[in-house]
Amino acid sequence: MSTDPSSPVLRIEGLVKRYGPHLVIDGVDLDVAAGQVVVFVGPSGTGKSTLLRCVNGLEDIQGGRILFEGQPVLSRSSAIHAVRRRIGMIFQGFNLYPHLTALQNVTLAPVKVLGEPAKDVEERARGLFRKVRLEHRAHAFPSQLSGGEQQRVAIARALAMNPHLLMFDEPTSALDPETVGDVLAVMEDLAREGRTMLVVTHEIGFARHVGDRMIFMDGGKIVEDRPPEEMIASPENPRTRQFLGSILHH
Amino acid sequence: MSPQVAAYWYVFLKGVGITLWISWLALILGGVVGLVIGLLRIAPWAIVRWAAIVYIEVFRSVPPLVLFFGCFYGLSFAMKLDLSPFSAATIALTLTASALMAEVVRAGIESVTRGQWEAALSQGMTYPQVFRYVIWPQAIRVMLPPSVGVYISTLKDSSLASIIGYVELTKSGLLVRESTGISFEVLLIIAILYFIINYSISLVGTALERRFKYVH
Ligand SMILES: Nc1ncnc2c1ncn2[C@@H]1O[C@H](COP(=O)(O)OP(=O)(O)O)[C@@H](O)[C@H]1O
Ligand SMILES: [Mg+2]
Repeated sequence: MSTDPSSPVLRIEGLVKRYGPHLVIDGVDLDVAAGQVVVFVGPSGTGKSTLLRCVNGLEDIQGGRILFEGQPVLSRSSAIHAVRRRIGMIFQGFNLYPHLTALQNVTLAPVKVLGEPAKDVEERARGLFRKVRLEHRAHAFPSQLSGGEQQRVAIARALAMNPHLLMFDEPTSALDPETVGDVLAVMEDLAREGRTMLVVTHEIGFARHVGDRMIFMDGGKIVEDRPPEEMIASPENPRTRQFLGSILHH
Repeated sequence: MSPQVAAYWYVFLKGVGITLWISWLALILGGVVGLVIGLLRIAPWAIVRWAAIVYIEVFRSVPPLVLFFGCFYGLSFAMKLDLSPFSAATIALTLTASALMAEVVRAGIESVTRGQWEAALSQGMTYPQVFRYVIWPQAIRVMLPPSVGVYISTLKDSSLASIIGYVELTKSGLLVRESTGISFEVLLIIAILYFIINYSISLVGTALERRFKYVH
């Protein structure tokens, strides 16, 4: 299963995704190396979420292929579960399990899916709660937590599986402004640890300080893929310029 | 209460016991069958879904009385089964209860948002694991109140079993009425007993519901 360290963690070749007749991903090629933080920006409805969902096989694809750590991602194969175990996903709406405490949210999958001993997982979960700065909230239910706290529990839940890739789909878009910073700070820590991350966000400050690459998507295509500083300072494509202008000046 | 009627207290008591027993049995059997039908109702295969819909719609709309006759005389005749009133009544009650429970199960499962499936699947859970650890524990909270309603309606339907000669609470009362010749008082007692039973079930249901609520 282990692959050549120089080969990408994720390789996407000529990806095509349609919903019925509606073309949503229109031939995307992308290599992501280990440790890279790739930030996706673009107008809504351009296929950013869909792209992430294809990567862990939540959507089937109509063309091209996706390789995760050298293995093809096939949404309908039984191997998909093993792929998903190694990819953590954080959603805009948190999607915590409301019937479980924060701690149980984090320990559920490692115990039930990976079959690890509950004691070990709980130990690791405590460490993760420290990492996301929520040690005091481990026994709260999701409904008792603020949005920012819920999202940090969701991050801890993803980390508990020891994933090799983390995907964030607008993780701060549903948050009150005052809790956005806490979530971004945790994500920045993860990036500094050298984790491989795909992040869809409108937080240009995060992209600039934390991202290694910034990808502008429009109409299901990658329009521009450059270091964030450069793209923000001097976008090449007129659409990129227009989009960045619209989110920087309001 | 007149002494003639009071002398039959044990008949009423036994009637209450039998009514509770047969409706409970029908609820359990109906719950199990209803769970299966409810799952088939949301299966990914259209033909299976259709079969489940037909089952639900048929047994939800046929009046219980017709089912009692159908099971007691019809099944006996068609399948050469010699069903006792008890068996026929249990089957009839189960058919209705399972159709109602199937809808309760479907509504419960569909009340859990798509995001829950996605979060669990993205953690590498298989469909059965998602169902067992994430969907079901949430669905069951939604299912509880309407299940109590199904139990109460099953319990009331069970009074129709008196027609095929099964001696539950209603039939017990009618027997007491025959032997004593006292009508109004006996019927009143039956009504009060049904009320006490159903109201108690409601109260238990409300208490369970409160216990099952998430912390807020
Ligand atoms: N389940 C679906 N069925 C049909 N169309 C969908 C579905 N999910 C997304 N789409 C469409 O795909 C396009 C891309 O959506 P999405 O990936 O969510 O965009 P973004 O995340 O960039 O805003 C949109 O036009 C959206 O309406
Ligand atoms: Mg999106």
